[in-house]
Amino acid sequence: MKRLRRAIQPAIVPILAILSAFLVGSVFMFITDLENLAHFPTDPGGTIVAGIVNVGNAYYAMIIGAFGDPTRIIAAIGSNDPKVIAAAIRPLTETLVAATPLIFTGLAVAVAFRSGVFNIGVEGQFILGAMGATVAVLVFRGLPPPILLVVAIGAGTLTGAAWGFIPGFLKARTGAHEVITTIMLNYVAAQLVLFGLRSDFLRAPGSDAPVSKVLWTFVRVPLIFDLPAIRLHYGIVIALIMAAVVSWFIFKTTKGFELRAAGFNLHAARYAGMSAGGSIMLAMALSGGLAGLGGSFEVLGTAGQMTTDLSAGFGFNAIALALLAGNRPLGIVLAALLFGALRTGGGLMQVKTGIPLDLIVFIQALVIMFVAAPLLVRSIFRMNARPLDEGSTI
Amino acid sequence: MRLELKDITKRFPGVLANDRITITVDKGEVLGLLGENGAGKTTLMNILSGLYRPDSGEILIEGERRTFEDPRQAIAAGIGMVHQHFQLVPVFDVVESVALGSESVTGPLGTFDRKSARKRVVELSEQYGLNVDPDATIEDLPVGVRQRVEILKALYRKSDVLVLDEPSAVLTPAETEELFDIIRGLAEGGTSVIFITHKLGEVLEVADRITVLRRGAVAGTVNPKETTREQLAQLMVGRDVDLIVDKGPSKPGEVVLSLKDVFVMDDRFGMAVKGVTLDVRAGEIVAIAGVQGNGQTELVEAIVGLRTIDSGEMSIGGEAVHRASPRHIADLGVAHIPEDRIRDGLIAPMTISENYILNSYHRQPYSSRGVLDRKEIASHAAQGVQDFDIRTPSIETMAGSLSGGNQQKVVVAREFSRPLKLVVASQPTRGLDVGSIEYIHSQIVAQRDDSGAAILIVSTELDEVLAVGDRIAVMFGGRIIGILEGAEATREAVGLLMGGEG
Amino acid sequence: MTAAAPTVTPIVREMGEADRRNLRSARIRGAVIAALGLVCFAAASGSFGVIATFSFWLVKQGGEAFTIQTSVGMLWLLAGIASGVIGMVQMIKGPAFPWRKSLLILVPLYVAAIVAALLDGKVANMTNVFAGTLEYAVPVSLGAFAGILSERSGMLNIAIEGKFLIGACTAAICASIAFTATGSKEIGVIVGVLSAMLAGIGLGFLLAWLGIKHKVDQIIAGVVVNFGAIGITNFLFLRVLGNNPWLNTPPTIERIRIPVLAEIPVVGPLFFSGTPYLYFTLAVMLFLTYMLFRTRWGLRLRASGEKPSAAGTVGIDVIKIRYRAMLLAGALAGIAGSYLSLSTAGSFQLGMSAGKGFIALAAVIFGAWNPIGAFGAALVFGFSDAIQSLLSILGVDVPPQLLNSVPYLVTIIVVAGVVGRVRGPAAAGQPYDQG
Repeated sequence: MKRLRRAIQPAIVPILAILSAFLVGSVFMFITDLENLAHFPTDPGGTIVAGIVNVGNAYYAMIIGAFGDPTRIIAAIGSNDPKVIAAAIRPLTETLVAATPLIFTGLAVAVAFRSGVFNIGVEGQFILGAMGATVAVLVFRGLPPPILLVVAIGAGTLTGAAWGFIPGFLKARTGAHEVITTIMLNYVAAQLVLFGLRSDFLRAPGSDAPVSKVLWTFVRVPLIFDLPAIRLHYGIVIALIMAAVVSWFIFKTTKGFELRAAGFNLHAARYAGMSAGGSIMLAMALSGGLAGLGGSFEVLGTAGQMTTDLSAGFGFNAIALALLAGNRPLGIVLAALLFGALRTGGGLMQVKTGIPLDLIVFIQALVIMFVAAPLLVRSIFRMNARPLDEGSTI
Repeated sequence: MRLELKDITKRFPGVLANDRITITVDKGEVLGLLGENGAGKTTLMNILSGLYRPDSGEILIEGERRTFEDPRQAIAAGIGMVHQHFQLVPVFDVVESVALGSESVTGPLGTFDRKSARKRVVELSEQYGLNVDPDATIEDLPVGVRQRVEILKALYRKSDVLVLDEPSAVLTPAETEELFDIIRGLAEGGTSVIFITHKLGEVLEVADRITVLRRGAVAGTVNPKETTREQLAQLMVGRDVDLIVDKGPSKPGEVVLSLKDVFVMDDRFGMAVKGVTLDVRAGEIVAIAGVQGNGQTELVEAIVGLRTIDSGEMSIGGEAVHRASPRHIADLGVAHIPEDRIRDGLIAPMTISENYILNSYHRQPYSSRGVLDRKEIASHAAQGVQDFDIRTPSIETMAGSLSGGNQQKVVVAREFSRPLKLVVASQPTRGLDVGSIEYIHSQIVAQRDDSGAAILIVSTELDEVLAVGDRIAVMFGGRIIGILEGAEATREAVGLLMGGEG
Repeated sequence: MTAAAPTVTPIVREMGEADRRNLRSARIRGAVIAALGLVCFAAASGSFGVIATFSFWLVKQGGEAFTIQTSVGMLWLLAGIASGVIGMVQMIKGPAFPWRKSLLILVPLYVAAIVAALLDGKVANMTNVFAGTLEYAVPVSLGAFAGILSERSGMLNIAIEGKFLIGACTAAICASIAFTATGSKEIGVIVGVLSAMLAGIGLGFLLAWLGIKHKVDQIIAGVVVNFGAIGITNFLFLRVLGNNPWLNTPPTIERIRIPVLAEIPVVGPLFFSGTPYLYFTLAVMLFLTYMLFRTRWGLRLRASGEKPSAAGTVGIDVIKIRYRAMLLAGALAGIAGSYLSLSTAGSFQLGMSAGKGFIALAAVIFGAWNPIGAFGAALVFGFSDAIQSLLSILGVDVPPQLLNSVPYLVTIIVVAGVVGRVRGPAAAGQPYDQG
């Protein structure tokens, strides 16, 4: 029993945090439902009930939109009609598609956090990784597709790693605070992408829009299911593999040990002979590389062409994920699935009820706040204060 | 004024720091509060100065019961505390530091009246012979002067009771004598003084009465004129304690560490070490004595590779070393026990076994080809815990939750678990209880005799240096100004050198 | 009786490592600067024919202008001469030469030459550039003042960007409501500013509460507040303001012309006819500097940020000081946010702060945690933004994305180059346990 308790303990606070955040989000939804509230003076009781029903409808739409209707899925598999199956499992596959880049970026942030560095530049590293992959595809377009795929993804990863290395280098050599430098580089990355997409070489012919040529003409990440309108590709598999690799790296290798030591106590790490600057630079490069890898898969697997909004909001999501998961790779996968579900489900929610996706971001912000203040959550739910165990904080 | 602490009890999670302690101090009296590290002296004084609140018991001033919710109230009641670790803002100057919290102000915006504050600082400084430059910046001042600034702080607030917590830790013997003069002057002027220390000799010299604390409780109160060092030691530790380390004569062999005209810079573009020449041979213990701040820290950092040697030569085991990394130097067979075990020696959130391999994880058998071998690590760590008698529930316990003595044992276990040519230990027994101190010393002597290692110990504790050193080198102003043979060294001789004379 | 260590006879020795290294880098620096001078001469030789014109409005915008004309080649020549001289002095004098101060001469000359070269004959209206500089510098410096207050008290405040956004949004909405309700522009503006200030105070309290009471890592708390602010303001913009545009049409703030002083040619329209925000900023700058360094309040605040235990043990309530500092910082940042939406922009736009909150942090560092220094730093950043604006408006042949990146790149260079030479408050970001 005690063993079970110990295993679950790291998950308690995040789960409570999620519940609390949803509660607050519901209240917010209720308050901003202006059309409904307009009825309040004339019919207060009815307004409240209607408001709650509206909120409930919104959440229901979100869940169905994220995972699909179970009865429908079972019926569909029985019917053996690909179109029907596709329609039934689409929500679930869309959630996985949305979760894929989140796993990559969440891992990126976690690796940095564990090494004691705040990588707020995941967004820039992600889109530059995507750009790197895009450029590689168009430059090496003559290669046979399997090789081209590997080359492009490699190029994207290296680009992201380089972009992550810059602030790491600056911090190691000059002490420049990585929060400022990574955020600045995000803005610069956005400009670089815009610049690249305006060039004739990259831009899709026929319009001035900053969109690249369609990369799927040359190569594409293979799909898992050959069903109409199902776009789940092997990126998710690679993401899960990377989660395992990162976990192994951090806890089982010597370099991972160095990064963890540096993250806990840079002084003692130095005194023990580790290179503090080296750890910082390695962590940022790895972090950027993971983000770049995610960007490459996103552009070559999900999007098909490079656009300026490829990475909408990943920066924040990645940090939120890492915090929620206590920087544990397994937790990151689960949290990414949750956030993916929120995004996919939120899409349907927006269509059905008009509540914009930004509410989701707001809820996510609340989740993070609650997670980052475990004492607060504990006191809300009247749990005993327990000392923070290793790994539950940064 | 007459101050009484009656039946003060204070509990922290897992430890009873103060157990019904009663002490009294009369007006103009110097009370020596004696006890080893961990006996509860500092906790008691923190209660007196308003930082903590006692679980039970009372504080009586002139017979009247007082409670202090915060330091401000204690200060207003006349308690002036001079902490062991100075509470001075490094970038402020003396006037600002002394006046902080009791500033006089003028004008609608609360402008700080620096002129009148400065005048008062100068007055007090002259009245009590403290000799402090009011416009100097704290971080430029040597440690001994900073202590006087702390005393000025208490005097500025018209304290009736001055509490000094281990004041001589940062003073040369000569400066300590000056401090005693100041204390006597204060006592004659009617100020009561509580003098906290773990050094028997001092308390015998300056106190009017001595109260001994042991394990959180009062072990006895004696008159210094009627007692002996032995009796005090008995009260302090419960058994006979004489800080004599059981060691035979040294058998020096080859030169292991050779320093020639070494210059090392400090953190602020000055020169901390100004031309040190020193040889340490295998099988001997060289103890570097000296008050904190004379370049010892920088010298040690240079030897172990954490700081570059600006000019001069160093060789270890006959091999010339130039701009080597800490890892390279460790690979040459050098162990380093750092001054600050919490900050530099251990990683508190990591387990004992992880700390055990902190500087050897990259070597066989702990890892091969970049992958850690958990089984090997666990078995070696367990062996280390057993060999060095580390008290812990398991090797997976976080290092930060161990006691000070056990933490130091982890560091020692880690460093001594491989063949060594040179051991560099900085303040190895700082803040430890007597039992741990004896243990660490015996381990060091064992390294000298059994492994034939060369040992370099840096310590500000004169007793430790005299007990442990086969040869004693004294550092002052960044240079070694004297080297004495251990057998011939006396307190007086070393003390003089520490103060820059002789 | 000694107060300091006895004097030590100086030792004569050969140059140590550090000295050698310093000399080498000084020589390299000098050589590079001098070499750049040669590049300038080369550029100069080809461009004496190109006119460079800098114009200044005399009395008001769009009126008569006063112009300075020279050739691009002349500017390159000046830059080259300065480089040559400074480079040689550096090489001769070695490490003792204060090269950072010489940048004050070199950088303006180079910038003038490069900008003039890019403009290729077009007229550069400098009044507009300086006005743009001030306009950019106002919110950035207010944000920097907020940052200085927080950090000097010991709290890290990286949520300035979020406070800008929330302040801008709140100001726009509340000012619109007030204006619609009362029909008075002045009331609308005042309500807008006050509401933004209150919103900022609220966020400041939140951050302080999280960081002090719950010991949340202050960087994480700041990042969360930032993203939360983006989320909320985006949400409001899309869900509420999109459908109710009347909530996003606040009255704008008029400029104030100081009588007499504004009539001074050239300088008048520049410095003495700004928005009230500019004067407010300058007033705050002076007031804050005085308060920080001359008053008891400032002394205690600085102690709380440098070594809180030193303050705590003499009975100062460090926690209260930190809370107050964060509230005040939040107020300033909120007011800065109101500037964004209530002045030229005229409404709240998605993400309208565009990173200024982080540039404010860079200004804090560049200005060495000193309000006057931070204002100077904000002017530098503002200038880079204004030049970039000028160049893109005049259609210069440089990719707009490069120009847009300039302020961010400048920030990185500043932060990387300056940090390590200045020290921030030693205890910033560390939670303090009071008893």
